[in-house]
Amino acid sequence: MDLVFDCSPLPLLLLTPSCCIARASHRFLTDWAVAADDCIGLQLHTFLENQLHPTNIYPARHIIAAIDDAISSRSERTSKAVPTRNRRSCRARVIPVFKYDQLIAINIEWHDRPAEFLEGELVRPGLSTDEAFRILVQALKDYAIFLLDTKGHIATWNTGAQLLKGYTRDEIIGKHFSVFYGKDDLEIKKPEKELDICLREGRVEDEGWRYKKDGTRFWANVIITAIYKDGVHVGFGKVTRDLTERKASESRLIAAYEESEKLKSDFLANMSHEIRTPMHGMLSACHLLQDTELTARQKDIIGIMDESGQVLLQVINDILDYSKLASGSFSVTSDVVGITSIITSVVRSAQTTLKPAVHFELFLAPNLPKSVQGDPLRYRQVVQNVIGNAAKFTDKGSIRVRVSLQAVDLESFTVLTEVTDTGIGIPEDAAAILFTPFTQFDVTTTKRYKGTGLGLSIAKSLVELMGGRIGYRPNPERQGSVFWFTCRFKKIKSLGQIQDWKHDSTPRDGSLMALPNTDIRDLQAELSQAASSKTLLLVEDNVINQKVMLGMLRSLGFKNIDLASDGIEAVNIVTRKPVGYDLVLMDINMPVLDGHEASARIRRAGINVPIVAMTAYALKGDRERCLEHGMNDYVPKPVDKKYLIKTLAKWILLMRDYRKDESENAWRLALALLDYLPTSMNLSILLCESTAGYQTGIPISPERGVRLNSVQTCQKRHCR
Amino acid sequence: MAGLNDRDDDISAAMGEFGDHVDNAIFSQILEMDDSESERDFSAPLVQNFFEQATETFQKMDNALVDKNLQELSSLGHFLKGSSATLGFSKIRDSCQIIQQYGHQLNVDGTPEEDESVCLEKISAAIDRVKVDTSELEKLMEDFFGW
Repeated sequence: MDLVFDCSPLPLLLLTPSCCIARASHRFLTDWAVAADDCIGLQLHTFLENQLHPTNIYPARHIIAAIDDAISSRSERTSKAVPTRNRRSCRARVIPVFKYDQLIAINIEWHDRPAEFLEGELVRPGLSTDEAFRILVQALKDYAIFLLDTKGHIATWNTGAQLLKGYTRDEIIGKHFSVFYGKDDLEIKKPEKELDICLREGRVEDEGWRYKKDGTRFWANVIITAIYKDGVHVGFGKVTRDLTERKASESRLIAAYEESEKLKSDFLANMSHEIRTPMHGMLSACHLLQDTELTARQKDIIGIMDESGQVLLQVINDILDYSKLASGSFSVTSDVVGITSIITSVVRSAQTTLKPAVHFELFLAPNLPKSVQGDPLRYRQVVQNVIGNAAKFTDKGSIRVRVSLQAVDLESFTVLTEVTDTGIGIPEDAAAILFTPFTQFDVTTTKRYKGTGLGLSIAKSLVELMGGRIGYRPNPERQGSVFWFTCRFKKIKSLGQIQDWKHDSTPRDGSLMALPNTDIRDLQAELSQAASSKTLLLVEDNVINQKVMLGMLRSLGFKNIDLASDGIEAVNIVTRKPVGYDLVLMDINMPVLDGHEASARIRRAGINVPIVAMTAYALKGDRERCLEHGMNDYVPKPVDKKYLIKTLAKWILLMRDYRKDESENAWRLALALLDYLPTSMNLSILLCESTAGYQTGIPISPERGVRLNSVQTCQKRHCR
Repeated sequence: MAGLNDRDDDISAAMGEFGDHVDNAIFSQILEMDDSESERDFSAPLVQNFFEQATETFQKMDNALVDKNLQELSSLGHFLKGSSATLGFSKIRDSCQIIQQYGHQLNVDGTPEEDESVCLEKISAAIDRVKVDTSELEKLMEDFFGW
């Protein structure tokens, strides 16, 4: 028996009941590096005081206490870990040996302290920590916890592993852990890679599909930890959790999110038609109503409706533009841009919204190109936004608009537009988020300034689409802001486009607009160019006057002039050819039917041809009376040629062609009808419009199968 | 197109003798519409037409005066006022304005004149005056156009 004790693979000590060392196993002598003579016969605590780490002899008491405890409870005890002289840490498992009630010996097994798990509550009295952990690991059902050897072969197996993976302990021990992986993972050598990473990093975590014995798969979270013993790599600990349920709910969440994103963009796409169409309907109706006879109070109310409608439309357009820009489906067109005219027209319209103590200063650099190629509407939109903001946030002082040429190269002009205001300015911390969508720096509850908070972010996107940049700096002179942006415009190629632009970019409601200030000779030259393609109707009862007017108009280059000698005749001619005339010159005082009534009848017939009154009346209010009867302008008699040139230039060169609006409205109506058809219908509609000028105004929705084709002659087309 | 003012000097020299009969600025506008100054294809027949129209109108005015038809007188006055104004014949235009006003039973300043006979008297005087002015102008025009 002594031999058995001595040759035990464990480091053992046998103590007498008085704690004197009686025997030591060979392993003990080796591990502790002592000779048998150094310990046999010594009291344990004496021996330990020599052997334990000199800085800390107190732990010897742990062992003595464990022995006392073991004796009094007559069961085994394990001591706390104690550091030994050779810097190892070990525990003593104390086994008291009783013969009946007589303590005959105390057996001590020395164990190297296993891992970092510390002594604690887990260790029930009478249960070694090792055992407690073994039981714990073994019993866990929700986690597959097992050890791999250095090559990845499975060394241990717990209940959780068996339940999760379906293999029994006997089936799996010794197999390589790659059996749990799917084909795809095996092809990319994932198991090997994981072990490599784990060796390098100490730990690896992965989520992915793993396979059970029966071939079904589960979504696993796997943590592999490299395990070292005495600095030597001995294997891997692997913990696997089944996350199939969590994964499923995640996928459901993602699906729901994707669905809502799709619904949102569908919703916005539909909004475009669903909101804009009735909005346009309302605004058009409002305008029609404004043209009827109304009391002053009714006019006020309709003015409010119209204004609010315009604001709402702006908000809607902002949101739709933003969602288009955000989705990247926004494009800029290429057309002729009259920078000066756009700026002046925006400034003019902003002037009406200005607070009384604010004035505009407009600086247009003399070297600005007259017209360039780009997207006039988008440029106007940005200008409008920046100037509009300045007007909105400035209570007193000035708004200075400066447009200059920043750079010119062979192909293009870079135009810098700066708007300096003396308004409320922008706090430093808000400056950084100015161009971020949906932000408004005035977020107080008593919000003074209306808006979507999209304007500047739209402006930024638009400017970037036009090859420019936008920025902000504080007004260097005083309180206020400077917003600047650049746009790159191509140089213009054909002069003919300039005429088209003039029709497009000027305001429609210009009836009270000041006459063009251009040099009269330039104006006349320009008018003569356009005149030959225009058709006028001259309504005049007096032959002499007819002749003089005809002579004057011919000298201005007009070739197609029809004559009517009284109001009735005029109404008949115009209603027969509702889009036949570019302008009507109307004498007021005529026999049979006077000019006022004739104009009113033409308007009642829904014809918006510009009518310019000619009258010798010079009384104050005559002009207003003419306008009241639906005429657009007024030329006093005897007709002064310069005045006539200016007036004709205004209506023929500058004003938007009335027929364009009518054409646009007709198309808009047609397209509005489309919206009542279900979107699922596969539509293919061909719009035929011959006049190039009108085509630009037609809202096309390719997503609904609507295409535009220009045709010169009317042909039968099949619409499916 | 030649400038509007280029020929003003020549024309005003030629028109010097029209005196207060003609508003030179307006009449020169008419003359400018001629393709050639020697032919005066546009203005000459126009002015001739005017005198024919004036003669016809005076005839109608005389008849209306006999009928004491103020309404008709007013509208005839307006009619001839239109063409005379267009051509810049100021004296004729001013008389026609008076005829038109009293035809509406209004004084020249726009205040009402209730008395029809006063209106008829004033109109009658104005017609006499306008006839004289017209024949004087016709002579001046004959000289100018070389008829």
